[in-house]
Amino acid sequence: MKRIAAFLEKNRKFIPLMSTAVLALLAYAIGAYLFVGMRNPQVFLNLFRNTSFILISAIGMTFVIVTGGIDLSVSGVMALTTTAAAVLLREGMNPWLVIVLMLLMGMSLGAIMGTFIVKLKVQPFIATLAGMWFGRGMCYFISDDAVQITDPTFQIIGKTKLLIPGLMELSERQGTAAPFITIPVVIAFLLLIVAIYVAHHTRFGRTIYAIGGNEGRNEQSARLMGLPVDRTKFLVYTFNGFCSALAGLSLALFVESGHGSYAYAFELDVIASVVMGGTMLTGGSGYVFGTLFGVMVFAVTQALIQFIGSLSSWWTRIVIGALTLIFIGVQTVLANRKSGPRGAQTAEGVAAKRRQQRRLAFGLGAVVLVAIVATVFVSRAGPSAEAETSVAAACTVQFRETEAADLVRAGAVIVYNRAAGPLCVDELYAIYPDGRITADDGQTQVEKQISPAEVEQLLVAISVDHGWFTNEIFSTYLNPCRQCFAHYIDISYGGQQKAVTGVDGTTARPPGFAFALAEIRPLLPEIPVAP
Amino acid sequence: MKKNNDRSFTWRQVTNSTLFFPLVALSLILLFDFIFIPGFFTIENRDGNLYGSLIDIFRNGSTVMLLAIGMTLVIATGGVDLSVGAIMAIAASVAGILMNPSALRDELFFVTDPTYTFQPLWVVIMGALIVSLLCGVWNGVLVGYMRIQPMVATLILMISGRGIAQLITNGLRIQITYKPYAFLGQGWIILPFSLYIVAFIFALTWILTRKTAIGMFIESVGTNFRSSFFSGIDERKVKLLVYTFCGLCAGIAGLVASSNVRTSDANNIGLTTELDAILAVVIGGTAMKGGRFSLFASMIGALVMQAITQSMYAIGVPAFALQAIKAVVVILVILLYSEQVQAFVRGLGASRKRVKS
Amino acid sequence: MSETDQSILVMEGIGKAFPGVQALDDVSLTLNRGEVLCLVGENGAGKSTLMKVLTGVDQPDSGKIIFDGREIQPRSPQHAQELGISTVYQEINLCTSLTVAENILLGREPHKAGRIDWAKTNTLASETLHNLLGVDIDVTKLLGSYTVAIQQMVAIARALYVASAKVLILDEPTSSLDEHETAQLFKVMRKLKGQGVGIIFITHFIDQVYEISDRITVLRNGKLVGTYETAAISRVVLISKMIGRNLAEFDEMTKTKLESGKHIRSEALLQARGYGLTDAIQPLDLDLHAGEVVGFAGLLGSDRTETASILFGVEKPDTGSMSINGKKVEEHSPLESIKRGIALCPEDRKAAGIVDDLTVRENIILAIQASRGWLKYLSLAEQYELADQYIKLLNIATPSADQAVKNLSGGNQQKVILARWLAINPQVLILDEPTRGIDVGTKAEIQKLVLSLAEEGKACVFISSELEEVLRTSHRIVVLRERQKVAEFAGEVEENTIIHAIAGSEA
Repeated sequence: MKRIAAFLEKNRKFIPLMSTAVLALLAYAIGAYLFVGMRNPQVFLNLFRNTSFILISAIGMTFVIVTGGIDLSVSGVMALTTTAAAVLLREGMNPWLVIVLMLLMGMSLGAIMGTFIVKLKVQPFIATLAGMWFGRGMCYFISDDAVQITDPTFQIIGKTKLLIPGLMELSERQGTAAPFITIPVVIAFLLLIVAIYVAHHTRFGRTIYAIGGNEGRNEQSARLMGLPVDRTKFLVYTFNGFCSALAGLSLALFVESGHGSYAYAFELDVIASVVMGGTMLTGGSGYVFGTLFGVMVFAVTQALIQFIGSLSSWWTRIVIGALTLIFIGVQTVLANRKSGPRGAQTAEGVAAKRRQQRRLAFGLGAVVLVAIVATVFVSRAGPSAEAETSVAAACTVQFRETEAADLVRAGAVIVYNRAAGPLCVDELYAIYPDGRITADDGQTQVEKQISPAEVEQLLVAISVDHGWFTNEIFSTYLNPCRQCFAHYIDISYGGQQKAVTGVDGTTARPPGFAFALAEIRPLLPEIPVAP
Repeated sequence: MKKNNDRSFTWRQVTNSTLFFPLVALSLILLFDFIFIPGFFTIENRDGNLYGSLIDIFRNGSTVMLLAIGMTLVIATGGVDLSVGAIMAIAASVAGILMNPSALRDELFFVTDPTYTFQPLWVVIMGALIVSLLCGVWNGVLVGYMRIQPMVATLILMISGRGIAQLITNGLRIQITYKPYAFLGQGWIILPFSLYIVAFIFALTWILTRKTAIGMFIESVGTNFRSSFFSGIDERKVKLLVYTFCGLCAGIAGLVASSNVRTSDANNIGLTTELDAILAVVIGGTAMKGGRFSLFASMIGALVMQAITQSMYAIGVPAFALQAIKAVVVILVILLYSEQVQAFVRGLGASRKRVKS
Repeated sequence: MSETDQSILVMEGIGKAFPGVQALDDVSLTLNRGEVLCLVGENGAGKSTLMKVLTGVDQPDSGKIIFDGREIQPRSPQHAQELGISTVYQEINLCTSLTVAENILLGREPHKAGRIDWAKTNTLASETLHNLLGVDIDVTKLLGSYTVAIQQMVAIARALYVASAKVLILDEPTSSLDEHETAQLFKVMRKLKGQGVGIIFITHFIDQVYEISDRITVLRNGKLVGTYETAAISRVVLISKMIGRNLAEFDEMTKTKLESGKHIRSEALLQARGYGLTDAIQPLDLDLHAGEVVGFAGLLGSDRTETASILFGVEKPDTGSMSINGKKVEEHSPLESIKRGIALCPEDRKAAGIVDDLTVRENIILAIQASRGWLKYLSLAEQYELADQYIKLLNIATPSADQAVKNLSGGNQQKVILARWLAINPQVLILDEPTRGIDVGTKAEIQKLVLSLAEEGKACVFISSELEEVLRTSHRIVVLRERQKVAEFAGEVEENTIIHAIAGSEA
């Protein structure tokens, strides 16, 4: 115990970072103990796959917050990136050109906001707020609906599985598929490494740290010492614009589409991750490396809640909010403690402060850990304990399985239920052999008529040509993202009937399933939105 | 004492008034409407109730106006409340669950009878308001007593608030069919009922801040809390009060909003409204660093924002473009209020600059 | 060796005026290489203005500055630094979020192929600290994790290393240091002396002046009183130069005082016994009588303001107790004090006095409104009545009661604050430096006012660095030195006696 204390004493400045790391890993360990599914290494790697865009954005945000500023525009720029990229690709532009253009766009938006903040002395809060609105607003100018990304290059970048050498044997033993990560994850980590280098080994990075903290007095001092404060702040916002665009691209790759409603409220998650990673909102302190752990805490929380199943996914927000509060509360309380009657830092005062910090950090870490364990155990006692295959969607809509069964009994040959997504839909379609198609979203019913021949063609293509009823087609699951749709397809043909479910954003989806989806969707009628 | 010639003295009086810029902005927009939108100013009388684009501005803007009232006081103390949108959602959820608690049993029983409500109306309203008051107290304690930065402290509730709202309704969207409740947002007594609510709260707040010492204390704390402290004013209590009140205003706004859409939708009610409210106060001229405030100016600021929205709709700008337009407005406001432009406008009439003696 | 060879810095005939006040009037100063020159004077003497002129923050109206044989005109602190004049302020102008090494070398870190060479940076910083200052600390730790004392060392190191300073200005560096740290600082200063650096040391601790300085320059009310060899001037003489009598008419005042002295009651209105606060005030006893003016005399650093703060309840005392009208005081806050009838007119007008955006009327009624609470609002008619009453009484120069206070001159602002405290009709009125930064005419007005208030039956405490002012207006004088009360005299005391008490010597 004493040696740990001594070690911590020596590396005092890393305490916040380490406590977050410990929290994240411990939480995951507890989850792995409780849920068999979490022991699958793929689930651990999925933590990074599902949050690569949060990590990318959080890296840029760390720099902004260290200078004492804030950037609320990240979600708007991300959404704009997904939409613009999707539309440009649809128009046939070269995918690499699209990538470059998007990054340039992000940088320009960041530069504009930076100019407002530095030159016009607008508060970062307001300037970046305007940026967010502008970004989101522009999305809808470009496209009203979500736009699918079908460009092959993007698909390759998004779906390529990078296998992890060491884990392949482990998975073979377990009998599961080889664990992999995707390219956006690699990009996120590369960015992390670059950011760490810049932060600690370049003058630019040191200036960033010099500007923040000490209630703005550091900024004054930095100016007096001749540092290029204005230029640095401007570049930091530009860089964050770049990160937002990169994160947007990562998100677009993940969900293979673009829309103005994506990334809703992501800036909160990003800021929460940065804070939990040990960076103080007042600026001047914090490690980029810590942000990685902050994002991990976020991802683990999300995963735990999904695995628990009985708690819906909006608990994630509550837990993250509570954790952020604890971190911020500790930061503020420690900062406000005066060590002398006039707040001067005497030697005695500094030592007392350190002792206090250590005690508080340990105490709170313990409290949080106990809280997590308690929550998990309590909710385990609830109805659906092992919810490995639960497709817990972003909103709590479940597949209408009983209705689907009714429809099949009534003679439908194809029943398709699309649920969740950014607008939280619940659409049930049924295709009958006589060419009638019904659509129902819970409020409105629509009908459409196609020829029976088309229906037959469809059935043959899906079942015969693409082996719907073979073992090649199977249900898949993934920790779903907020924007993802969950699909339920039930096909009856030649005396056989099979229902398969799948979620957007997974590269483990069998091609036959994707084919069925792609073939069915264009035939469906559009359900008008209720006024 | 310097003597200014008569012309510049009047001009200075006008431009120095806090209402100057927001009124100019409002007039410009209304002028635009008058020229380009036929029939914008027509008011028709149907069964004793008045309808028209002008009326719609007030009706649709009532949510933001309510929020702006509370937000003005918070900003006057040098703070900000980002959680008002979330508090709206929480209030709406509480109201919804009190009218139809079947959601708690995991399956929503769809109510179709417009006279059915599980709890009487006054319980519903009181419940929602008490909960939103508690949210405000939470914020006030964090900011006033724990001295956490306002933006950071209210961010917590902003992040977790909607989750809490979902918790209350067990994740389901409750349809509201109870007619008297729907009257809050959709009723009409000559003028839209929500307008009366706004007027009532405005009057109440005005009395509270100008007929008691509270207004002066708020301005004092916002300008210089140390001097206020030495004069015997407890800034912690003042801050607790303003955040609590802001929470209450948000609760009322939540009731009006949910009554308008007839659901308690934790995800969508009050979305981005905190930003609208802050912007309304900023347009109204209350500085974000705190100090002097004007409730009336904030109302005008809210009307400016709503008038822009309404005008855009009227000329056929599609809904999605509105966000981008709002962003442009924010930018214009920022520029307009920047020191350079303000000094320029003031300098237009003044003959001599005042020298500090 | 001629004077000009030895002197590194000569300031000749510096004059600087601000609207309404002549901050510096024909002030001259010489600094030699390898010497420590102490610049002393009470608040308002002009020390900070002089230094601002030297470091380029302000431009002088007249006079010239000769540095190392050449005339210079510093345009900004950075420029002054480039020329070789560096300042270490009490509020360290470094970045607490960076390490010590970074702070010392900021802007000049050694690079190796585009990346900062940390090893070299840290070594250089350690060496600088060791060689130039004789200080050894871990340079890889954040500056903010060190005490103010160490931060000052780092600031000095930076000034010497990066700026190659030939003149080092230390502005009140010992205010936050304890004895041990002060000794360390002096060790460093002696080392620097040996290296030929000229040091201007601004302080109000007389003992330290005698410990470290070679020569002393005394300013008073913007004028140069004189420059003396430290070894050749005694404490008593020095103090009398700093705060001693101004040949102004005060016989008139003495007569008024004698008459009003008849109204002093015998039983104490306020009694403080053993009242103290660790690290601020040593426990003291104090009695205040209705009808009496008690003056606090002492230099800066004797913590007269802290004493006033405790009496008013701004800070809670650690020891002792106080009773008013026989009742013991339990709660400590400004509001409670106001309700009990104690008023404090604070020293820092701008930070703790005026609420600058509010009007004259609002500023005046602020405290009395606070004591009435939130709901019992004074009607506007009452407010205007009160405001007008005091505007007339105190002769406040303002176009109307609705003028924003920030537009008034310093003297009138002070009057507004005074009005605020008079409005609550206090039993005890504590005035901390009420005449600082005010023109002579208003000063006399305020002094007369204090005496008449006593005549009305109030107990007043009058704190001022101007001894003759204290003498003029007080019936009784309490002398504070280095955070404790050392003596108490009846109003008819000789000025010399007080000066001796302040100096701490018998003769």
